[in-house]
Amino acid sequence: MRVRLPLGALTGSIIALSLCGCQTLGVKPWQHDVLARPAMALVSEPMDAAIDDHIYFSKEAASGGRGFGGGGCGCN
Amino acid sequence: MRTAAEIAAAAPHAPDFQIAVRGDDLTAVCFTAMASPCEVLLDAADSREVGELARAAAHEAWRIERKFSRYRGDSVISEINRSAGRPVVVDQETAALIDYAAQCHALSEGRFDVTAGVLRRCWRFDGSDRVPDEAAVARLVPLIGFERLQWRPPQIIVPPGMEIDFGGFGKEYAVDRVLAILCTRFLGAVLVNFGGDLASNRAPVQAPWQVGVERPDTDREARLLLEFSRGGLATSGDTHRFLQRNGRRYSHILDVRTGWPVPEVPRSVTVAAASCVEAGMLATFAMLNGRAAEDFLEAQRARYWSLR
Amino acid sequence: MQLKRPPSALQLGLMAASCALLSHTARAQTVDSAEQPFELDSALLYYKENPGRVQTIEPVVSLKKDFGDQRILGGTFTVDSLSGATPNGALPSRKPQTFASPSSTSLVPQAGKKTTLYAIAPGNLPQDPHFNEQRVAGDADWSQPMGLDNNLSFGGHVSTEHDFDSFATHADYSRDFNEKNTTLSAGLSEEYDQIHAHGGNPVPGSDYELYEHEGGQTKTVSGALIGVTQIMARNWLMDLNYSYDHSQGYLTDPYRILSVLDALGNVTGYRYENRPDSRARQDLYWVNKVAFGPTVLDVSYRRGKDSWGIGSDTAEAHLRIDLGHGVYLEPHLRWYHQSAADFYDLYLSAATAAPQFMSADPRLAAFIGTTAGLKLGVTIGRYGEVSLRLEEYQQRPSDQSSALPQLQGLNLNPNLTATIAQLSWGLQF
Repeated sequence: MRVRLPLGALTGSIIALSLCGCQTLGVKPWQHDVLARPAMALVSEPMDAAIDDHIYFSKEAASGGRGFGGGGCGCN
Repeated sequence: MRTAAEIAAAAPHAPDFQIAVRGDDLTAVCFTAMASPCEVLLDAADSREVGELARAAAHEAWRIERKFSRYRGDSVISEINRSAGRPVVVDQETAALIDYAAQCHALSEGRFDVTAGVLRRCWRFDGSDRVPDEAAVARLVPLIGFERLQWRPPQIIVPPGMEIDFGGFGKEYAVDRVLAILCTRFLGAVLVNFGGDLASNRAPVQAPWQVGVERPDTDREARLLLEFSRGGLATSGDTHRFLQRNGRRYSHILDVRTGWPVPEVPRSVTVAAASCVEAGMLATFAMLNGRAAEDFLEAQRARYWSLR
Repeated sequence: MQLKRPPSALQLGLMAASCALLSHTARAQTVDSAEQPFELDSALLYYKENPGRVQTIEPVVSLKKDFGDQRILGGTFTVDSLSGATPNGALPSRKPQTFASPSSTSLVPQAGKKTTLYAIAPGNLPQDPHFNEQRVAGDADWSQPMGLDNNLSFGGHVSTEHDFDSFATHADYSRDFNEKNTTLSAGLSEEYDQIHAHGGNPVPGSDYELYEHEGGQTKTVSGALIGVTQIMARNWLMDLNYSYDHSQGYLTDPYRILSVLDALGNVTGYRYENRPDSRARQDLYWVNKVAFGPTVLDVSYRRGKDSWGIGSDTAEAHLRIDLGHGVYLEPHLRWYHQSAADFYDLYLSAATAAPQFMSADPRLAAFIGTTAGLKLGVTIGRYGEVSLRLEEYQQRPSDQSSALPQLQGLNLNPNLTATIAQLSWGLQF
């Protein structure tokens, strides 16, 4: 069963929505206390993330998605 | 005669802080910075955790003092004030502070001006009656005016003879910065108090913070007691810095357009706002309005207490 | 009490100016960047596939220096040492099978040529036991703000192993909006690889018996990524990324073969695999980070599809439980599903002509992968943080039984189970 999912169009519309619809979303600058904690960073454990990315890259067909940072290896 | 700030900054202080336990579960970190007694109250008892937080708080306060104090030759402010018309490239933090000064200058219609420091050369608010003569003041007025600076981020040009100074909001900025840093490492309630400029993330579980504001010139021991939960609190007052001559009191709040004090300024104004810089700036704007200070604060729907 | 009145222009202006000042410097500088500009992260990974299959030991060291103002230089050094048996793509058989290790330059012993053979007992999955590889990789990256709301970063990567060299570079740009509540980012990457397999690259799709090999091959991978990060609430951060990758060149695995079977299931020969020379991939990746007091939940979903017909779904969750006193526990769960590549075949039929593209690589098959793990971290004052992570990964291929008589009772593509252990140490100084 093949599902046609226009991933690019979906992301584009979400990004457009978030730009104009997000005046109400968000916090005041002095409310950044929780978000500034290291554990709340998007990639809070970069070493683990890089190691996991490498393991799953060599064992599975899909890879990445999170961002750039690595190169290739001969394992796939 | 040197002010307390100049003496404090000149003395090479071995930076140190003390930790004291206050009551149940409340720890106080005390140190000196920006010529003020600084205190950080934490809703915590674990001494090792508190030690780390104390270090972080004190180091940030001293970092800001080192970087922006006009009394230190190695500060960014001194470097800018020595530049005599040459362009100076500033870093992100300094740029943000200059932008803030520019916005406050515009919002106050020119009355708040970080270039007004040159007036120190003739005005010394030591409680005496030595009021400068008009000619001396008039000579300094052309050296004041934020619009005379050339600010094209990240480059600033301060014409020769002029100077800038963040003293008008530096302490409040340090309070907000220290609070923000502590909130990234600590989940409990924090109250940062630098010589009467406060900020807190939230009240302790037991009860809101009890803040006492000095009521000058009264016989009563009781101070104005405020209940304070979160946000910033700042006080502007002329209790210690004024001149008195011929029955007339000259406050240290100067009108930069004339170089002379703003008349009929309240003795003290305390404002509560979302952050300490905002509270401090509202209090400063109120003082600049002199006689209309309270009307101004009413119009801004601010939470305030004033004393005349 | 104050009357309800719309805020004055000055009030709004002062609020906005104060916001801007604090939000700007909130992220620009931390106490530690001036006093402790270095950040060292190191890890030792041990990965072992059971039973008796590939194992790897991989030390990684990463050092970052903050030059102030969020200008950060980082470098990472990795050494990867792999050994153990790895499946070669052929099916188990009732009869014994013999293969040549990839480093061989000839299937049969000949003068001037190297031949290393390995025999597989009946019923066993053909695996090359001589697999031994060392890889060394280095990364460097630089990140700096541009103005008050923008950030630029770029980096490079070089890695080398006996049969594969890789060079990559990437650049990213991001911009903040809405008082830093929204961040848009975009990035580009480019990778260039050289594949020079042990014993030479086999001619794709050719007959294994002929053992035809050719010279080195190359491939390039170009990628683009756009993303939006949005602060949803004081304790909730969301990120959505879309990425597109295009690979071009030699994408075939030089060491894998397919069994060629007759109508009964007997082995009549083998063929080298052959994959298309281009592959286009798209991924949509959605992350949510939510804090519940000191506990942080990280939950993500990724949907991918590519031009080889492989669709994938990945759902992952980490829960960081702060136990106080600098100790935390972090359970981790991951669920992964992929569909098979269009040209994936368990084996080739001797009766029909070989298709243009074919591969029996289990990594291109349909399977479900699950991971369960636990991490324990302890902060030791000024000596940093030490943590131990233990995980188990299991791959369960879709049931692939066959009606062929000779294959009955054989486990055609067994489950894969792997243990992951990682010891880490992070320090700021």
